Amino acid sequence: MVIMAADRQAVSLGLGPGMKLADARARVPDLLAFDHDQLADADLLSRLAEACERYTPMVAVEPPDALILDISGAAHFYAGETALAQDAEDRLDTAGHGASWALAGTPDAALALARHGLKEGAEAQLPVTALTMDDKIHQALERAGLYHIGDLAERPRANLAARFGTELSLRLDRILGIEDRPIDPIRKMGNVVTERRFAEPLTHIDSALACLSELFAEASERLNERGQGARMIRMLLFRCDGDVARLGLETGAPTRDAALFQRLLRERIEALNDALNPGFGYDLIRLSIVAAEGLAPQQLRLEGGEDRQGDAIALVSQISTRLGRERVQKFVPADSHIPEQGLLALPALNAPAPVAWQMQPSGDPPMRPLHMFDPPQRVQVIAEVPDGPPHRFTWRRKTHQVIRYEGPERIASEWWQRADGQQPGQGGLTRDYYRVEDARGRRYWLFRHGLYGEEKANPDWYVHGLFA
Amino acid sequence: MSPLDQILFFYKLEQTMNNNDSDIGQACKPSMVDPAALPGAVPAKASVLRARLAKILAVSGVRTAADDGLPSHFSFGVERVDAALRGNAEADGLPRGALHELHAADKSDRTSAAAIALLMAQRCRFPDRILDPAAGQSEHPILWISESGEARRQGRLYPPGLAELGIDPSAIVHVDAPDSIAALRAAADGVRCSAMGAVIVELAGKKPRGLDLTATRRLSLSSQKSGILSLLLRSGSDPENPLPTAAFSRWQVAAAPSVALAGNAPGHSAFDITLLRHRSGLYGLSARLEWNRDDQVFREQQSEQRTPHPGAVPALAAVRADHPGARAA
Repeated sequence: MVIMAADRQAVSLGLGPGMKLADARARVPDLLAFDHDQLADADLLSRLAEACERYTPMVAVEPPDALILDISGAAHFYAGETALAQDAEDRLDTAGHGASWALAGTPDAALALARHGLKEGAEAQLPVTALTMDDKIHQALERAGLYHIGDLAERPRANLAARFGTELSLRLDRILGIEDRPIDPIRKMGNVVTERRFAEPLTHIDSALACLSELFAEASERLNERGQGARMIRMLLFRCDGDVARLGLETGAPTRDAALFQRLLRERIEALNDALNPGFGYDLIRLSIVAAEGLAPQQLRLEGGEDRQGDAIALVSQISTRLGRERVQKFVPADSHIPEQGLLALPALNAPAPVAWQMQPSGDPPMRPLHMFDPPQRVQVIAEVPDGPPHRFTWRRKTHQVIRYEGPERIASEWWQRADGQQPGQGGLTRDYYRVEDARGRRYWLFRHGLYGEEKANPDWYVHGLFA
Repeated sequence: MSPLDQILFFYKLEQTMNNNDSDIGQACKPSMVDPAALPGAVPAKASVLRARLAKILAVSGVRTAADDGLPSHFSFGVERVDAALRGNAEADGLPRGALHELHAADKSDRTSAAAIALLMAQRCRFPDRILDPAAGQSEHPILWISESGEARRQGRLYPPGLAELGIDPSAIVHVDAPDSIAALRAAADGVRCSAMGAVIVELAGKKPRGLDLTATRRLSLSSQKSGILSLLLRSGSDPENPLPTAAFSRWQVAAAPSVALAGNAPGHSAFDITLLRHRSGLYGLSARLEWNRDDQVFREQQSEQRTPHPGAVPALAAVRADHPGARAA
């Protein structure tokens, strides 16, 4: 076993990552060792990234152990960029995390400097391992007498690229700040961002909610100027001890309605699994409109007509906020002849425009059930002949005598979806559907799974739905 | 907004105009009296204004929000049933702005009860006199609320099957509530929203949590206020002891044998419905209905067609095996 990470005390005793655990134990007998939990590390890192959003909205996670903050134009709350970084280090230190940081013009340069404990402007002193190419290339460079980035920088690029590939010269340029690389922030920038900072942290939920409503009013004023309404609203409540509460709202239609916002916000907070806990108070509250869509002003009818469409969408938004967006659905037909795949239940919040459903010719009784079982439920069937219609079936420990039946309606499997589906016997099982009615007038949709003899020796029977 | 509210709106408008002493204010000479000084004058003035507004709206042909062309009652389309349901109301059928309760006679009749609820909602959204498939297709959706656990066990709504009954599946807003309390809450919100065509909430079990007189009364009152049909669908309820509710009517629904088509195929959907309780009329009414999808109307199953199933009674064997004589032979 090898040491993956060591705390400050261990480092001061001369232990460090890469050392064998047995060797470390030999040096420090009462060493405490824990299993490396990558997921927990990643989780901690993403939580730290969220906490760092107080400095800039552009925070990217660089696994396994680094964060990149794009602080261009974000340092005006502090004495300078160095003061900002110092503040971040102090906060991390308070939370019990050691950090080394560096400022640089490009993310790669900053990463390399921070990983090697150097400060801005010291790029030339970085060892060649900072290029993070593979070990062979690093060794080859060192054998050639090129130990530092500075040595490489003096060489003509063409020779380096010819010998080690263009990847190396690209990485070199990025470390030297010649070429920039975009970072992938954990959250995309909101369209409209409004925020409040408090000298004295807010310790009451109510005042925080009032503040959110004010922020929404500000944001919707700005949206109004653009002729837009909010579809997705994200709220961040930064607690002064570093904890961040996140709230998200989604509406079914663009809105600037403050009353609707407050109603949805209340629903959202009630639906939270762990209630909002202000603790020592929130010192920064930010509301951003993540998605906005065009919303033209509407003319209501003179005699006080109601906005029915808007009301319906507001209701959908409200129930979706309370129960979760997946639980409020609209049905859309899907292009498949397999009965259970012929429909999509999409969240009603962003359902597409209604599509016409296929209607049966007039005069026929319903050919499709009103209730469907997914997955189909197994039944025991007695048929007069193995490939004939069902005569009697047992479902849920009750026996039903088939009085009337119609069928079979033969529905083939989607053999083209399978590998070797065109080969005989490889295309999946065909279903033979029967509409049957029992002695008490209940109508069932049964199917035999597989053609008798050809596809299966003993096909199973299932009930797939119930007719009205 | 009710017509009275509209009147008050106009009234206030006129009052402000009077205060401004504008030309229009002068034109309305009789309303120059200060209503605050004479409290008795307010209703009189309101009624005058109401009459005037009604006249203006009638002339201009504007349909107001309160009167969107839907009648206050909806019917099954079966004369015998509708006339019996009339009670002491002025129209046949059941009132639209009320809570109605539908019980599945047996657990296995859940699908039939669901179909009756949906078809009642459909009758309510498209009454006979405005049967126009293009009219208001997307305007008044049906809010269908069911518990997710029950839907998983007993089958969930299948949109192509809805289309087969003549109901446009894209007019359904399907809510998968985690439990019965959430379902009732969503229903209460839905009934208050005037954009809905009907609200159907399906609850399973003998005694669903949260279903009591208060909850149903809330639904019933909101329904009366908004004029939206609300239907409470119960499956697996105890027929001996249905929970007391504030519903206007209570029905029991069971599946009925259909009239066979050619080749002994199962025919059109048929239901046995029994009126168990009715606020303002007789109960004990029962009928066997069939749904006619093309005309979007129920019809009574013809009695001559109601022959018993040939297979419903087991045929007797020519020689009975348990006959003492047979055993001796």
